[in-house]
This record gives sequence, C-alpha cells and structure tokens, in this order.
Amino acid sequence: MTTESAQERDELAGEYVLGTLSAEQRIEVQKRLPHEPDLRAAVDAWERRLLDLTDYAEAQQPSAFLWPRIERSVERLTPETSTTSWWNLLPLWRGLSAAGLAATLVLGSILLTQTPPKPNYLVVLVAPQDKAPGWVIQASNPREIQLIPLGVVEVPADKALEFWTKADGWQGPVSLGLVKPGQTLSVPLDKLPPLQPNQLFELTLEGANGSPIGKPTGPIQAIGRAVKVL
Amino acid sequence: MSLPESEFDYEARLAACARGEQSALRDLYVQEGPRLLGVAKRLVGDTALAEDIVHEAFIKIWNAAAQFDPARGSARGWMFSVTRHLALNQLRDQSRETPFNEEHDAEPDEDAFDVQGHSARIHRCLEQLDPQRRSCILHAYVDGYSHAQISQRLGTPLGTVKAWIKRSLNALRECMG
Repeated sequence: MTTESAQERDELAGEYVLGTLSAEQRIEVQKRLPHEPDLRAAVDAWERRLLDLTDYAEAQQPSAFLWPRIERSVERLTPETSTTSWWNLLPLWRGLSAAGLAATLVLGSILLTQTPPKPNYLVVLVAPQDKAPGWVIQASNPREIQLIPLGVVEVPADKALEFWTKADGWQGPVSLGLVKPGQTLSVPLDKLPPLQPNQLFELTLEGANGSPIGKPTGPIQAIGRAVKVL
Repeated sequence: MSLPESEFDYEARLAACARGEQSALRDLYVQEGPRLLGVAKRLVGDTALAEDIVHEAFIKIWNAAAQFDPARGSARGWMFSVTRHLALNQLRDQSRETPFNEEHDAEPDEDAFDVQGHSARIHRCLEQLDPQRRSCILHAYVDGYSHAQISQRLGTPLGTVKAWIKRSLNALRECMG
C-alpha cells in the first residue's frame, strides 16, 4: 500500500486533472481510482475547481458524420431487449405503481393522522439501476425530515447504509448519518440550510462506521430529489 | 442549437441515457458536442483525432450513465472530464510524446490566454498568480502540454516548471477552497 500523505495525494490528483502526469503515472492513478475513495474525492474536487478553464478552448462544429457514427456505435452496443417500447417495460410499471402506492400511503397516513401539517417536500428514493422505489422522505417542516423504508433491504454484515444530501450550490454532499435497514429515521436538519426544491438525497453502501472521508464513496443504493408538495 | 447551461437539465438526460433512451444522448451531443470537440481539438491538435475522442467519449457517457453519481460533481462537468481524460491518455501515450515542431514554436506566447472578462472564480484565482505560473497551468490544462513542453515553450528549466506548477496548484486550492 502507499504511504502518501493527504498533501501528496492532493498534488497527485491536481496534476492528474491538470494533465501533466506521464503515461505511466496516469495509468497508475486510473488503476487506483476505483478502489481509493480518498484519491477519487481529491480528483473530483480538482475536476470541479478547474472545469471552467475549458472555456479557453473555442467550440468547434463537429462534422456531419460524427453523430451518425456515435449513433451506430451505441446501437451496436445496446442489447436487443432495450429496443422494447417503454410501454412493455415491466420494471417501469412496477416502479411507477410502487411509487404511486408509496405516495398514496404517505398522503393517506397524513390524512388519517391529520395532526401534522402536510409535508412540504416529498422525495422518493429509487434504486439507480431498475428505478425500484426503496424509501420515501417526507418533510412536514423544513427543519426535520423522516426517512421511511418501503421494504427491507439486505446490507452485508460489515457494511452500513449512509444517508446523504446535497442542494444545488453546495460544495459537496453532507452526511445525515447511518441508516439501519427497515428503520424509520427522523433527521433534524438544524445544522443545514432549509430544504430546497430539487435537493438531492441518496443512500450509499459504506463501511460499518460510515464513509471514512465524510463524502460518499460506496455504490448508490437509492437516490432521489426533493419535490415541493403543493 | 445549444441552450444556456442553466436551462438544460444534464442530469435528467444522463438518467434517460441510463434507461436506454438514445434521444437523450443526442440532446447531450447537440448541447455540448461543439464545446467538447473544441476541448479535445485544443488538446490533441488534430480535428480527425479530436472527433475520434468525442466519439469514444459519447460511447463512454452512454455506457457509464447509470454509474454517474451527481453527489460527486455536475453531469456537465463529468462529460468534460471523460472527454479530457481520453484526450490526455492519447497525448501522454509515450509513442506520441514528441517535442514541439517548428509550427508550435512559432506561436507567440504573449496574451495567449486572456484572463480578463471571465467571471468564474477560477479566473479570479488565476489572476492572483504570477503571469508565467498562470501560463504553466493554462498550457497544461487547455493545451495538454507536458512539463517538458511547457519548459521548452517558456524557455524555463524543467525543474522550475515542475515547482511552479506544484505551488500554483496549492495556491489555486487555497483560493478556491
């Protein structure tokens, strides 16, 4: 393993994004990125810092052949099944009906209990691959949110689910803590600015004690954005 | 026609790509294709090669759309990163690492980059750097020059160029947070 300091790692990430590393060093960094969340976070930060320098390169109209070429390559890569019409996509309808059911349950429970005001924001967190809904978030006041599971998920014994949020304009995502599978969780947001429309929420699979670097490092289990309820 | 960045929902298009909707990839291409080609062309210096890179980049964007994590950065930024790194891999591939030819040497360096008139924070931070150090950063990021090429271009010893870049990156990180 490497024994580089955070400073050395940041310098490596900076020069990787800048482009001044040699071919060997670039290959080395690209090999490490999938396994090293610290390095990945440092590279991501440099990508964000330097992105606007791309303005210096003048835009250039592609030739008329480029898009048809991309289209052909993509079609060759796409398996036959995905040419099925969306009307026949079972996961889509499953997902939509489950999302509808989830919304009905949440709205219905609010009608029945009546005491709390209606949620100002609603988020349905879905699995990134098949869009199956796994959790809903409701916020009846902008200082606290509730994370409600729609089913039980399996989490490996040495792993934990970590709950994150990021609104537009924030530097990076903020952890809202670890979530036990099947548990309804109330999270005070008093350390954060009020909820915003389109605010991102996600659950990632992290080590048993959560992400070591305070940023999501593991695969996304569920993701969604806040929608204001009228 | 491309829309202003603020009005174009890059993340929604990427999510649609992840669902297999090719029209969303086309939208992304119409929106950013010319700018991505411009970035690739500036790095590799050749239009045909730059089109190869943009072709490869869109295939990668299509294939990796489902893995894109919006918590790690913007979807637009990710498209530029994918394209730049494909171009940089190509550039740094040893067999292609060549010293400048005369054509490159003939270009004057003064005012090659105008930092005035850019509003983004990075430009304000760049303005605080000594002009030669700023040139190092811009020649590397925008033109894809290696340490050796920058040294040759600025007529500055290689070790000095390496130290300038290291210190400039530290200064930019301090300035930008």
